[in-house]
Amino acid sequence: MEYANLRRQAASLKRSLFDQGYLDEQFCQVEDLQDEASPNFAEEVVSLFFKDSARLVANIEQAMEKYPGDFNRWDAHMQQLKGSCFSIGASKMSNECTSFRNSCAEENAEGCRRSFQKVKREHAILRQKLESYFQLLRQAGPARTATRSGGK
Amino acid sequence: MLLDAMMMEPRKRLMGMERDQFPVGMRVLAVDDDRVCLKVLEGLLRRCQYHVTTTNQAITALKLLRENKDMFDLVISDVHMPDMDGFKLLELVGLEMDLPVIMLSVNGETKTVLKGITHGACDYLLKPVRIEELRNVWQHVVRRKFSNRETNNNLDFCKEYSKNPTTDSYHGLSQVTSGSSDQGNRASKKRKEPHSEEEDEGDDNDAQDNDEPSGSKKPRVVWSVELHRKFVAAVNHLGIDKAVPKRILELMNVEKLTRENVASHLQKYRLYLRRLSVVASQQASIAAAFGGRDPFLHMGAFEGIHSYQPFASSAGIPSFNPHGLLSGVGATAFGLQDLAPSKAIQCASSNGAVSHCIGDTNKFHIANLQEKNQANLAQGLTAPLVQPQLQQKWIHQETSDLSSFFSGSALANTMSGTLQRVTSSSLPPVELLECTQIKVGAHSSIRIPSASSGLLERSVGLSPYLQDSSISQQCAIPIDDGFSVNKLPLHIPFVDVSTTKLDASFVAPEQDMDQKGKFPERVTVLPSESLIAADRSKCGTRSSGSTMLLLSDTERHSKYLKFGVASNSRHGMDEMVNGSFNYNGSASVPEQNDVYDFGISKLQGGFNSSSCNFDGLLNSIIKVENDDVPFADNDLGCELFPLAPIGGAVEVADTAALQR
Repeated sequence: MEYANLRRQAASLKRSLFDQGYLDEQFCQVEDLQDEASPNFAEEVVSLFFKDSARLVANIEQAMEKYPGDFNRWDAHMQQLKGSCFSIGASKMSNECTSFRNSCAEENAEGCRRSFQKVKREHAILRQKLESYFQLLRQAGPARTATRSGGK
Repeated sequence: MLLDAMMMEPRKRLMGMERDQFPVGMRVLAVDDDRVCLKVLEGLLRRCQYHVTTTNQAITALKLLRENKDMFDLVISDVHMPDMDGFKLLELVGLEMDLPVIMLSVNGETKTVLKGITHGACDYLLKPVRIEELRNVWQHVVRRKFSNRETNNNLDFCKEYSKNPTTDSYHGLSQVTSGSSDQGNRASKKRKEPHSEEEDEGDDNDAQDNDEPSGSKKPRVVWSVELHRKFVAAVNHLGIDKAVPKRILELMNVEKLTRENVASHLQKYRLYLRRLSVVASQQASIAAAFGGRDPFLHMGAFEGIHSYQPFASSAGIPSFNPHGLLSGVGATAFGLQDLAPSKAIQCASSNGAVSHCIGDTNKFHIANLQEKNQANLAQGLTAPLVQPQLQQKWIHQETSDLSSFFSGSALANTMSGTLQRVTSSSLPPVELLECTQIKVGAHSSIRIPSASSGLLERSVGLSPYLQDSSISQQCAIPIDDGFSVNKLPLHIPFVDVSTTKLDASFVAPEQDMDQKGKFPERVTVLPSESLIAADRSKCGTRSSGSTMLLLSDTERHSKYLKFGVASNSRHGMDEMVNGSFNYNGSASVPEQNDVYDFGISKLQGGFNSSSCNFDGLLNSIIKVENDDVPFADNDLGCELFPLAPIGGAVEVADTAALQR
């Protein structure tokens, strides 16, 4: 009972993340890769993502301070972050990354800064939401692998 | 027919077996500095039932690959990595291990994708990668294996029917390369696999039946410089006409080398020679124009041919190696290209071939070219295209194999640069080409995958030109004696590029020339010198050497030859660059050196300036690729194409002709 409830909550949280555009199809693919061999695959990938992305965000911030006007450098860093976002399906965040890169291409420092703030914000929001999501799943127990109640 | 039928069977069996078992368990090496992507990729690949190894450092990946060349079937790599550029890794893997490499990136811009392809990538995927795409990647591996196996199979069959193996190989090869669609696998042969020849463990039959791509552990035979040297020495000893794989194998006395390996290598070598001879004749004409130079005539120098190996016979046309040019490593290969094509433009027919070359990395090109070449070759003319391509490929190959030999990158760079330039300029070449009989254009084409194709075609056309009347028609430069130097020195540079290789190839004076009457003489490629020189000089000098190959009997030729020789000394490039070749204006290569320079310097200059027709794409691509690398480095001569930079180039040719 309890578990089913939790699972339902997790499912609806996930749905809302999709509806609001935080996540996209790619995330489903990642979750699909989960199986008996790697039962926590999705969670592992996501936590790896947040670890790496936090580092990348810090790098970008540092680069923006230390090398003002070095758009190529900023862009290079951001490209890395964008790649990660793509891989897990973090669509809102990757959109902000793209706009950051566009600003770099235009050499628009102010635009870059603004985009970067958005990137950071999306990053924080997504992290929080996904953490809740996985926590729910964890609480819902290993029965996760069974048919997902409430549908995806 | 019977042979075909016979071959189909085992092939089918093989295919069937492969289908059942492969691609399950295919061993993939995934490289990406982004751990998240890597992890997801790993998961996806595992889901496809591949056997995955991951590393987030390119250097580690290379180490793994080098330690055991048979450990993996496929490599998937990200483009942007901090420790090594993905393209560089791609090149190295392609050259050293001849494994299929797939590129990954978030960047899907056309020019980046183009760069990937020209550097030799089998495929270019965009992140995020979908599992459907990964499910299909095994095809790349199978294609390669089939290409190699085809050769072996053909050889086997030939053996059974007690035919001359080499002949059969050719036959088989041509069949394959002709890309008959009905022959399923044959098509895959188009992919040039010049380097690696799978050693048959046990008999060929075993290979056919039991070899499973996924588990195939056949060691690939890499035709290193040493090996190739031995091969060439053996061939020379026996005489190029009498050289049969069995005897060559005996003379070479190398462990673990099978007759099949030798046979297929011989095939390639022969094609290469043919190409060279075509080029040589062109060169000769140019040389003749220049004045006599030391006759290189020694064919013996096949040493230079080392690089030859890459010329997968099938590929005949060394894929112009866009790679090379672009990445620099493969560049050397391109350099050669230049050589050939210069006139190429003329041959419309070759165009087709050329286009092939251009698009892809060697492999692709070669495949295409082969087909074309096959046809051309059949005609007795190694389509100039082929030559360039071959050369390129050859060069490219060389680079890979002999990477140390040429310090490939160095050459490549130069070459690439030149080629690029050439290509860029060559684009317009059509007009140019016409004038220049020289294929020079061909060179250029190679580089530019897309753009060049058009260019190449033109230039290529020239090569085959020899046979085709088109060539003669087009070119204003009549090669009266055979080498109307008119052509625009481009040729010469061309020679350089291939440097050593050409020499070898020239040995076989291509008939082409004669057709038009342009190249009466067979240029005995003086490979030895140039080749050797090439080795040493790698750059420019080498190229000069290549030109030298043309051993024309006539004095002209000798002069021409000298040209080559001179180049050996490196001067070729440098000198030439500076001078004489004014493409735009003075195409005529006043002196050998000049000629040399022409091609090179001018090419570069002309190239860029002429604003090749290519849509800016090529130019930009090319330009980006190489900074003006003076031909000095590599014979880039190939770049000759610039001869006729858009429209204007043609003039050069004319002038040259006039001067002559």
